[in-house]
Amino acid sequence: MAEIRIKNLHKEFGVGSDKVVALEDVNLDITGHSFVSIVGPSGCGKSTLLNILTGIETPTNGTVEITSDGHVAAPGYVFQAARLLPWRTVTDNLMFVQEDRSDDTKKRCQRYLEMVQLGDKGDKFPGELSGGMQQRVGIARAFSIEPDVLFMDEPFSHLDAITARALRRELHHMWDETKKMVVFVTHDVGEAVELSNRILVFAKGGRLEDDIQIDLPFPRDPADDEVAVAKAHVLRKFEELDLLAS
Amino acid sequence: MTTTDTTTVETPSAPRVTEEELARRARRSELTSRWFWRILSYIAVLAIWEFALLDIFSFLRGSPLDPKLLPGPSEVVSTFFEIWGEGTMPAAFQATLTRIAVGFGLSFLIGAMIGILMQSKWFEGFFKDAVLISLSAPGLIWVLITAIIFGNRPLGPTIAIILTTFALVTVNVSEGIKALPKDLLDMAKSFRVSVFKRNRQIVIPHLAPYLFTGLRFGFSIAWKVTVLTEVFSSSEGIGFEMRISAVLFDMSEFLTWILAFFFFALFLEKVVLEAIERRYFRWRQAVTAT
Ligand SMILES: Nc1ncnc2c1ncn2[C@@H]1O[C@H](COP(=O)(O)OP(=O)(O)OP(=O)(O)O)[C@@H](O)[C@H]1O
Ligand SMILES: [Mg+2]
Repeated sequence: MAEIRIKNLHKEFGVGSDKVVALEDVNLDITGHSFVSIVGPSGCGKSTLLNILTGIETPTNGTVEITSDGHVAAPGYVFQAARLLPWRTVTDNLMFVQEDRSDDTKKRCQRYLEMVQLGDKGDKFPGELSGGMQQRVGIARAFSIEPDVLFMDEPFSHLDAITARALRRELHHMWDETKKMVVFVTHDVGEAVELSNRILVFAKGGRLEDDIQIDLPFPRDPADDEVAVAKAHVLRKFEELDLLAS
Repeated sequence: MTTTDTTTVETPSAPRVTEEELARRARRSELTSRWFWRILSYIAVLAIWEFALLDIFSFLRGSPLDPKLLPGPSEVVSTFFEIWGEGTMPAAFQATLTRIAVGFGLSFLIGAMIGILMQSKWFEGFFKDAVLISLSAPGLIWVLITAIIFGNRPLGPTIAIILTTFALVTVNVSEGIKALPKDLLDMAKSFRVSVFKRNRQIVIPHLAPYLFTGLRFGFSIAWKVTVLTEVFSSSEGIGFEMRISAVLFDMSEFLTWILAFFFFALFLEKVVLEAIERRYFRWRQAVTAT
């Protein structure tokens, strides 16, 4: 079981008059088989939080710890943009993040490419794929290392509605079956309510404003009354926090 | 596309031509016509040249061109085979190419090193004007200066090559480093990819096109500068042979050397370098195609 412990996390960029506070005094524990969504207006530090949790950025103050059964957890990261190596084929992009090049690993990569409906595109270069296809390769790459914690930064926002729906279902299955932890950033409250059992609301200036538990059974149908009520509840929180304007 | 649809409907027995095949054919015919016009330009020039030397211009009191001063293409070609038979040509090319390889090899290393150093503010200040001067001063200046200083010694051409070409490599390397893809490096870091693998699979492929551009432009200058240095101060190589034939007033031989030089440069540029580009930068074509 993975655990994330965040204590007094503070992150600033720049100095003097250029100083930007991206995260302010965030305290947060995420444990076990959670699907946590992070919502909030643009620029409230969502990507920064994921960058710190995955080791890309370092905190200005405070500590973060990600462990899995006592050892350092392996994170998988789906970025806001696909971030593929343009000079490597799709398959090689997946292989790039693997620890070994065994046949098992290759088969696993192929399986996840098939999951995102790109099983026949392994030999293409990213430049030969559409933007949505590239994003799906990025998703397959993160899945393919079968991480202890999966971080996703608005992974479906560039995809068409049908593909996004299919992948949401796939993501839910994976989470349900593997009992892994998912930390999911989104702008879409409906998506957050449909997928997660916990929603963190961030406000401008990088403050954690609200922590909402959603204990409805899966699968959740947006048309379902209880799901609609939960969504309305989160949106009302947004209104109270005056987040909707942005 | 609608026309292909209707034809396939009307004649179902006709072999289906895939769109890929059509695109390939279109590309091939375009390539053929481009080469046709390109080669035609050579033929046109050679034809005018030969024609101007013909002895049919008595009404103008002689041909426009004097064959003693400027022999025609047919004569140059026969001289070419004569010289080739004597074995001077491969030897001269070998001498020149060795000089380029050593000089430009060194220049490439020095240029790349300075490009890396210039990432620091202080070294940037230190090298900035040197780079600028090397880029803007005509190569002839360095050729003359090194010829005066070093005379016949092989160090002269080497230094002339370095001074004229290192900056091209520096500028490209420096630009490449400035444009390092931070998003990809961050991605690799988050997936715990080793530093070695990050360098090998992100930094080097990213820098390769920049290095290649430096190589290409640097090489085309190194080539000209080398021949120039040989004209002024050397006892072997293509430039030296040109000087000898010019001094002996053997215009046919002089032109032969110029043509040999020209075709060899064209061959390197169009065949060798472009083949390397096609082989190693296939992904870039994929990017530009979309
Ligand atoms: N590398 C950086 N250098 C300087 N400022 C940065 C950097 N990264 C983020 N910031 C700033 O930190 C703040 C938070 O940025 P972040 O990318 O985390 O926002 P976000 O919540 O992900 O927004 P969005 O929903 O638009 O993706 C912004 O004000 C941004 O300008
Ligand atoms: Mg973001």
